[in-house]
Amino acid sequence: MPTDTTQIITRIAEIIINELKLEDVTPETFEADLDLVDEVGIDSMDLATIALVIRDEFGIRIDEDDYPKLTTVRIIAEYISNKLAENE
Amino acid sequence: MANETTGKEYKFSDIIADPAIKERFTRVRKYFFLRESTYDMSNRCNLRCEGCYYYAGDKQFAEENLNTADWKQLMEAEKDRGITFVVLAGAEAGYVPDLCKTCFDIIPLGCIATNGLIPLSKEIDYRIHISVWGNDTTSLEIRKAKNMLVRQMENYQDDPRAIWVYTFTPVNIDEAREVTETLAANNHQITFNMFSVPVGYNGHLRHTPETLARTRAVMSELLAEFPDTVIFSPYNIVAHTHERGLHDLFSCSYPRMNPSTDIGLGRSFRQYRTDLKWDRAAACCVPDTDCDDCRHYAAGSAVVTARMYRHATNPLHFSAWLDYVDTYLAVWVKGYEKSSNLCNELIEPPVHN
Repeated sequence: MPTDTTQIITRIAEIIINELKLEDVTPETFEADLDLVDEVGIDSMDLATIALVIRDEFGIRIDEDDYPKLTTVRIIAEYISNKLAENE
Repeated sequence: MANETTGKEYKFSDIIADPAIKERFTRVRKYFFLRESTYDMSNRCNLRCEGCYYYAGDKQFAEENLNTADWKQLMEAEKDRGITFVVLAGAEAGYVPDLCKTCFDIIPLGCIATNGLIPLSKEIDYRIHISVWGNDTTSLEIRKAKNMLVRQMENYQDDPRAIWVYTFTPVNIDEAREVTETLAANNHQITFNMFSVPVGYNGHLRHTPETLARTRAVMSELLAEFPDTVIFSPYNIVAHTHERGLHDLFSCSYPRMNPSTDIGLGRSFRQYRTDLKWDRAAACCVPDTDCDDCRHYAAGSAVVTARMYRHATNPLHFSAWLDYVDTYLAVWVKGYEKSSNLCNELIEPPVHN
């Protein structure tokens, strides 16, 4: 499980690319500040699915009220980092 | 995450490792792209049903816009902002087939809510929801129309677009069997709705704990006895006959009750009146319904479906949620076939942590 912020960003991008079956983008080229709703076109059900995969992988609790706010890869990475820090 | 009843923690990957759950999730997930909005097509209706939500509030006074070019422009704008599914309703869409066809030509996925007495051309290939409020004696009393079911069936015989929506009120619970038997004998489908009172309604159709329990029992019997005719699931029964309404159970995500515009219905849903205007404060699929009493099938289709995350805590709840979504798609999307239900227990909805 990645713990370094850069690694987390890359892994989240990978999860999003896999779950949404995005083409023409790699985890390394995925823009961390891209708005997933406005610029990628992600909807609430996709975001819920991604939150479930992230919850599994990082072993963190994501509140139902929180995941709709996780709208960029960087915001998600910061959220995960904070949750991991709380668990230490 | 911990299951509130067993304490066992399930990963989502564990839940969807079950082949039946995985198959169903994969199937319904293909429809996650659906984004709905609703449109009042006409302010006229050939009926005046007691408790009709359309004739509650002020939307009934909006002027009709019958200009096809304006509707074409609206639909193109809706498509541009990501709407992929339209619900054409109030008061009676059968009066304006040309406008319905205009909508269909631009956004080909959708549904028309109708009383079924004015047949709609098959060129408009949307799902058609035909309202039924009891047997023909009760319909005559509440809707002031004779022989409704017979006339509806004549208009939509052998029509795969059609599904009847039986609205349970306290006075027609025991008539659902007769209606279901008639529809089954004629190879039609039926799904269930719950009368939900309009704001300010003080009539005798408001459900009580006793009528909710009786409705639950009848729905369960009919689902078990007519599995090919009744498009429903045990979890639908729980969600719509619970003493707590949909908003209390699942936190309604329509704009009217949800101030967030981050994502989902709160961001994209609009309810247009016949003058092609909309108001966020009134935006839900059944405006002017009392939200505390809302158990409406259309509301549940969006509100329960939107709560996938909450149900992904254990296989049982997730199976129940999948049954609900499978039902929603079979009722609303033409050509989607209902599968067997995965969860045949009446389980309590998950608690919102």
